[in-house]
Amino acid sequence: MLDYIFSLDFVYAVIRMGTPLLFVGMAAVIGAKADILCIAYEGMMLFAALGGVVGSAYSQSLFVGMIIGLLCGLVIAIIFAYFVLYLDTKPLLTGLALNTLGTGGTVYVVYLLTGMKLDTSSLHSLRFPAVHIPIIKDIPIIGGLISGHNLLSYIAFIMVIVVWYLVFRTRLGLRIRAVGENPGAAASVGINVKRTKFLAMMISGLIASMGGLFMSMAYMPYFTNNMTAGRGFIGIAAQNLGRGNPFFTMIYTLIFGAAMAIGNTAQAYRLPSQFASMMPYLITLIGLVIIGSRNKKTKN
Amino acid sequence: MSKKEKVKTTKQIEGMFSIIRTLLAVTIALIFAFFLISTVSDNPIKDFSTLLIGPLANTGRMITVVSKMIPLLFTGVAVSLIYSAGQINIAAEGAFFAGAVASTVVAIIEGIPAPIHIILSLLAGAVTGAIVMGIPAIMNVRYNVVTIVSSLMMNYVALYGGLYIILNPLRDPSAGFEASFSFAKSAILPRILGNDRLHIGLLIGLAVVIFGSILLYKRPFGYSIRTVGANKRFAIYSGIPVDKTIVLTSLLSGAIAGMGGSVETLGNYSRFVYSGFTNHGWDGIMLAVLCRNNPKTIPFAAFFLAYLKTSADSLNLTSKIPPEIISVIQAIIIIFIAAEKLLSKWEHKKIVANSQKVMAVEKGD
Repeated sequence: MLDYIFSLDFVYAVIRMGTPLLFVGMAAVIGAKADILCIAYEGMMLFAALGGVVGSAYSQSLFVGMIIGLLCGLVIAIIFAYFVLYLDTKPLLTGLALNTLGTGGTVYVVYLLTGMKLDTSSLHSLRFPAVHIPIIKDIPIIGGLISGHNLLSYIAFIMVIVVWYLVFRTRLGLRIRAVGENPGAAASVGINVKRTKFLAMMISGLIASMGGLFMSMAYMPYFTNNMTAGRGFIGIAAQNLGRGNPFFTMIYTLIFGAAMAIGNTAQAYRLPSQFASMMPYLITLIGLVIIGSRNKKTKN
Repeated sequence: MSKKEKVKTTKQIEGMFSIIRTLLAVTIALIFAFFLISTVSDNPIKDFSTLLIGPLANTGRMITVVSKMIPLLFTGVAVSLIYSAGQINIAAEGAFFAGAVASTVVAIIEGIPAPIHIILSLLAGAVTGAIVMGIPAIMNVRYNVVTIVSSLMMNYVALYGGLYIILNPLRDPSAGFEASFSFAKSAILPRILGNDRLHIGLLIGLAVVIFGSILLYKRPFGYSIRTVGANKRFAIYSGIPVDKTIVLTSLLSGAIAGMGGSVETLGNYSRFVYSGFTNHGWDGIMLAVLCRNNPKTIPFAAFFLAYLKTSADSLNLTSKIPPEIISVIQAIIIIFIAAEKLLSKWEHKKIVANSQKVMAVEKGD
């Protein structure tokens, strides 16, 4: 077991597992900053994953596939934002409904297009390539660590910096934080609260959709039924543990990624796989209690 | 006098609009369903009518509807209770699963006399469910942990923890597939009405519905629950022990959901067969939304959902339509019913017009 954890394969597996979580984590950071309780990331990811596959299969262009995938996820984000902000629907229920729509609706579309109910393996969809960085890839150890990951994995790590910059260093970020922390005060200085939240939700949805694209166009070569399997929720948990800070959130998504990677190989080491699969969630629960009790102490 | 009879209270108008909104949501969902069916089907009208009236075709299907309704009674009441207290605890799914696992552990023991064995199995399910839903509540009141996140994590812990127990110590190697040992005969729920698919769980479920609605609307504790849910600060000022109410409601809700898992397993199967979430907890959330957290109407909503599920299954057998169509219908219904501001302008106008009428009548008197 230990020799696996210290191997290069493990690093690759962690980054592979962590990439979709990282995207959702960043999406959740923006959602949380705007004080929107969004659990619809599963639905957004599923539609984006399917959109990317279908778009790239029919156009045979990775770029077109990506755009269509992002648009599909964005549509879900817009539906979410419209219902929550303008029709006063409870965010939890809206999220629940859109996730249900994601699991059921995507299967429906898959069936409509391929006549199969399980996956889109019959469509010739494209994949995002792995990137081998010149020069760096030839450096021993470091080259192995840094080079050779999927293109989207690099974008995911860049996204952490982008989100940090957006939230803490731009005018839009300031507005998002303002409407999140004190909508009354934000409105009093002339910020359109609903419009700002709407925009935040759209950005959040686009980032989450990138995670969806990774699932069907990098992690797997095609779309399968409910392929996100709760990753949208884990991203939210990571955001919560990281208390809205993009860098802390990143660390937690990588911890989850590591736990998932170990879970995948556990059977080879004769550990019950369910036990390993349970670990990330158990760690989160314990982490939440530790952070919570520390908060309580400082408050007192 | 005749004038006065025409005058409605604001509450009545609000009630009327919540019915209109529900009907509208169902109609929109069905229109959408028709559209979806016609994209796939060669004979959309026939398939759509299967969706609408398929379960009425024979008694066998109606019995399927009732048997699918049983677990929904439990999770619907469980979620109604917890949402009445304003807690966004979504661990009903995990509690249901854990309840099924816990009752399996008890049910495979041989040699306990039947009534005691059943009671013990159901209790095991209820206690485990209570733990699953209670932990996020305790974490919330003690450590201020956001319930939605902790209860989500709890679902997965219950799922994988449960699967670990079923597929390792309790796995029956002779089963030929991944399943637990068979239940002892004494733990299987007795049948009712002379039908081999209807079990006593139906009566237990209806009892839970009655218990839930009396507790929530006729007992002081129910008043506390609803006050905590409606206005936490007011509850604190009026001396209601808020934390205690939240934890107790969560435990109770988890116990009901857990018992639902037990009833479903012991009523329908001869061994534990689930390999993942069963979705009954999520369905419970939809039911609670449809019923606005009032357990009294849960049986009707549960029947409606069970009816739709049965239709979808028969559609799957008789046509090319994937049963996932039901998730799409469910999603549309939830989102439109929960849209508080939908039709709100019309509702507002009605209320204003009505109050003017009331004032006119009062003046006339």
